[in-house]
Amino acid sequence: MTDVTITILPAAPLHALEIWSNPVAVAERFKAATGFALPAMGRSRGSNTLRLIRYEPTVWLVEGDASALSNILANDGALTAIGGGIVRVRLSGKGWRALLMEGGVFDAESPAFTPGSSAATIIDHVAVRLHVVSDDACDAYVPLSYSAGLMHFWEEAARSLVG
Amino acid sequence: MINFTFDGKTYQAEEGDTLAAALLRNGIGLVGRSFKYHRPRGIMTAGVEEPNALVTVGEGGRSEPNTRATDVFVYEGLVAKSQNRWPNLALDFGAVLGLAAPILSAGFYYKTFFGSAKRWMFYEYFIRKAAGLGDAPTQADPDRFSQRAAFCDVLVVGAGPAGLSAALEAAEAGKRVILVEQDAILGASLIRDPQTLNQAWIDATAARITALGARILMRTTASGYWEHDLVTLTQRNAEPGQVPPTGIAQRLWHVRAGQVILATGSIERPMTFANNDRPGVMLSQAVRTYVRRFGVAPGKRVVIATNNDDAYKTAHALREVGAEIVAILDARPEISDVARDAQLKFRVHTNSLPISTKGAKHCLRSVEVDIWTERVVYVADLLAVSGGFTPVIHLHMQAGGTLDWNEAAQAFVPAKSRQNVTTIGGATSPDPIFAVAPVSDPTKSFIDFQNDVTLADVDLAWAEGYRSVEHLKRYTTLGMATDQGKLSNMAALGRLAEKQGVAIPEAGLTTFRPPYTPVTMGLLAGAGAKDGGAHVRRLALYDLHAAKNPIWQPLGYWFRPRAYPIGGETLAQAALREANAVRSAVGMTDVSTLAKFEVSGPDAAAFLEIICATSVSKLAVGRGRYTFMLREDGMVFDDGTVWRLAENRYLLTSSTGGADRMATHISYVRQYLCPHLRVSAVNVQEHYAGIAIAGPTAKAVLASLIGEEPPRHMSTVAAKIAGVPVLVLAASYSGDRAFEVYVEATHATPVWAALEEAVTAKGGCLYGMEAMEFLRIEKGHLVVGGEIDGRMTPHDLALDKMLNKAGGHIGASGLSRPAFSEPGRPQLVGLEAIQGNIPEGSMLVTAEGESPQGHVSAAAFRIVESGSIALGQLTDGFARHGEELIVTSPTRNQQARVRVTAPHFYDTAGARYRD
Repeated sequence: MTDVTITILPAAPLHALEIWSNPVAVAERFKAATGFALPAMGRSRGSNTLRLIRYEPTVWLVEGDASALSNILANDGALTAIGGGIVRVRLSGKGWRALLMEGGVFDAESPAFTPGSSAATIIDHVAVRLHVVSDDACDAYVPLSYSAGLMHFWEEAARSLVG
Repeated sequence: MINFTFDGKTYQAEEGDTLAAALLRNGIGLVGRSFKYHRPRGIMTAGVEEPNALVTVGEGGRSEPNTRATDVFVYEGLVAKSQNRWPNLALDFGAVLGLAAPILSAGFYYKTFFGSAKRWMFYEYFIRKAAGLGDAPTQADPDRFSQRAAFCDVLVVGAGPAGLSAALEAAEAGKRVILVEQDAILGASLIRDPQTLNQAWIDATAARITALGARILMRTTASGYWEHDLVTLTQRNAEPGQVPPTGIAQRLWHVRAGQVILATGSIERPMTFANNDRPGVMLSQAVRTYVRRFGVAPGKRVVIATNNDDAYKTAHALREVGAEIVAILDARPEISDVARDAQLKFRVHTNSLPISTKGAKHCLRSVEVDIWTERVVYVADLLAVSGGFTPVIHLHMQAGGTLDWNEAAQAFVPAKSRQNVTTIGGATSPDPIFAVAPVSDPTKSFIDFQNDVTLADVDLAWAEGYRSVEHLKRYTTLGMATDQGKLSNMAALGRLAEKQGVAIPEAGLTTFRPPYTPVTMGLLAGAGAKDGGAHVRRLALYDLHAAKNPIWQPLGYWFRPRAYPIGGETLAQAALREANAVRSAVGMTDVSTLAKFEVSGPDAAAFLEIICATSVSKLAVGRGRYTFMLREDGMVFDDGTVWRLAENRYLLTSSTGGADRMATHISYVRQYLCPHLRVSAVNVQEHYAGIAIAGPTAKAVLASLIGEEPPRHMSTVAAKIAGVPVLVLAASYSGDRAFEVYVEATHATPVWAALEEAVTAKGGCLYGMEAMEFLRIEKGHLVVGGEIDGRMTPHDLALDKMLNKAGGHIGASGLSRPAFSEPGRPQLVGLEAIQGNIPEGSMLVTAEGESPQGHVSAAAFRIVESGSIALGQLTDGFARHGEELIVTSPTRNQQARVRVTAPHFYDTAGARYRD
């Protein structure tokens, strides 16, 4: 079995943040309020209290306390709760990259997929969002209904990988 | 030593032996029987191109038929069986078909088995018995298969000297490199012909490549080359029939490469002469491989026939192990330098060819040859032949490449490609040969060994008018066996060109298609091979349902409770009890799978009025309404409800079955049609679990839990149940007063538990999909996939009065097409049985034998009263209420008489769901 541990993280508030107008002004308001800039496409920023992960050109996944974000957005965007339908799974250990290639279509082994990187992809037909937490850990955001099946898939796949 | 069995007898092999090498090591010459004539066949090659030595390896569900003995490495306990013979390999009664060869020539089936289809069904049984390959296993494969992605800058296919060098160069340049080799060891031609580059060089090069971070995949075949430099690799983790050490028998790699380098080498061609298929006739390079790699000499008295210099290496290799070289037959009239040197050690004849062979089932006895004008017979037990070399261009051609003709080698070589692929090494420059036309008896001169196609078959096809190489292929089955013509195609092309009087390139070439070598079906299915190819989607409340042991029903990828039987109830009994509870008291069910979208922003209403065909903008905050959505062509494709939760925030629900389609549709409208709108449309299908409670006492149940008056029909309120925030929507799909309670899925369990306790206290129960279907049919509600089948307009479904009169929605233009207003449209009707029960899916006819005028889309029984009822689509149905028809299902042999009615059988005034 390869060096990877698969763990379900506790449920956490997750939101989709979408900006439809005045993106520069929103970005400035955001930075002023939170102390960090909105992350670029495929990247994340923030801390365990509030982290934003950008998966789409106009949409960020917000993890943590989003209570201040509605005011920042004003009429330029919206915040929608989505956490009830997402299971956070942590893949930790040196083997997480190899595991994500199983049934995948995304280059998780790319040297450019470094901590802070994110991706929206398909794994074994399931839409999954990835966030590289560290060299040895990656979080996967898995649809609740598919989580049992995908966990089983990953556990089986991990057993089949050597080294 | 390793023990293995062949046809039940135990033999020993050396470590690293292929099955073919092990069989030769044990003196076994007869390995299989040919496809059509059951001719005895031995081992011809040492690689994946082997046409003859096909065996079944393994047992039970793990057995793999049609495995090339040259492409399976022996492991302890390997079980191999010969194929297509009865009662045994040596005494095969099917060989009698060889006597009938003159009438079993090309096109035999077409010329013989004509007539009605029924006759063919009779013939087919015997044909399949007589001809064929190995038997497919009847047991399930116990092993698993997987698929994975990989990305690299450079993919090198083939680990011979050229491939190893290319991989090393790329790795040293800092590229991400994958090197694949179908063999179990590296080296390819170097294994057969170690010269300046020996095993030490192979080992050092591989170590350096690996140290630079490149990946080397052994027992891995590049089986397909697709668009955008996507190459599929088939990796064996275990040999055929072997228990895989990690549980995964094979892995399919999807490799996206920046550049692909093909170092695939060449395949040696056989020579065409009478009885060239006999055991003991082998390719020259294969003989050398068995001698040098495996230490096995396939013969003691050897005749070598060649049209090139390469075969002389085989003579030297055989001499080194003590075999006697009886003669070397060189087809070239002029002696080459290599041949001249060989004359010092061997008897070399120029302008000489094998004409025929003789032998027993198991072995070769003699070779009849023409030397200039003289005919001579040599006693020999091995004939090693080399008819030239065919570059392995399959992947290059799959990639959309073009070919050049190498006249000296009489071979096609890779030219241009529209993809980023380069061929290097032996495949680009095959050795020159001397082309000579076959002169032996064409009826015994085989070109496609596996499908028993002879030169005479090609001649016959030509005589019967088959001019195109593609037609020739299909008429004779040449190149259509499991080896896909790797050895046969050039010989056939040569004969066809000869007949046409043109050069080989002008004769044409058949299409190269993946896979390069056979791929087992389980590998294509991957991990999904064990569960139908898809994950089952679980409800957030799955564990609660499972504890009640319901009957589950697949619904798309979801599994939902169909009914909750009690005390031995049947499905129908349980469903009727549950539906009765809803009609008389209260019931609750899980509706979490409904599609749900939260639409926010100043332009949310405008956006929804494009998606929905009904008006939305006039909804007051806290109110909802039924809605439906149209395709561009005006057909209804989904329905649901829309709720105004706040000034600029709406919740849109739609069908479970159409949820993914609706998500795509909304995304399309948002991104492409309305990028200017200030709106966010988020898929919250899984964020919210949904629980419906329905029945005359549903309102009281809910009131007891939320501590306030529940909302009136089509209104919504935010509340708490068991301390958990919920959204209550007053909507009915059953016909009775009903509510949908939405709760964040991670907090749904206490809400469900509180509702279930309250429902039970009121004499209610849970209900499943079957009861829901009874309820909605009785009420006349539509379902996507049933009444909404993609062919019905709003008018056909009697929804036209709800259309947004302002238009502007998707499908509004499509609705104006004149054909939608003409008679003859299918229209939604109700059907009640006069006699018999209505079969779902049955046809509606006016009398027996008449053409159908519609069909039954859903059927049920009345819940409180008795009687069979249904919804259906009937031509001009609105005007036919009261008419009596026949519903008939010929496939189920069921029939009933029905009366056409309005599609509502319960509370047509709607008083019950409005309190």
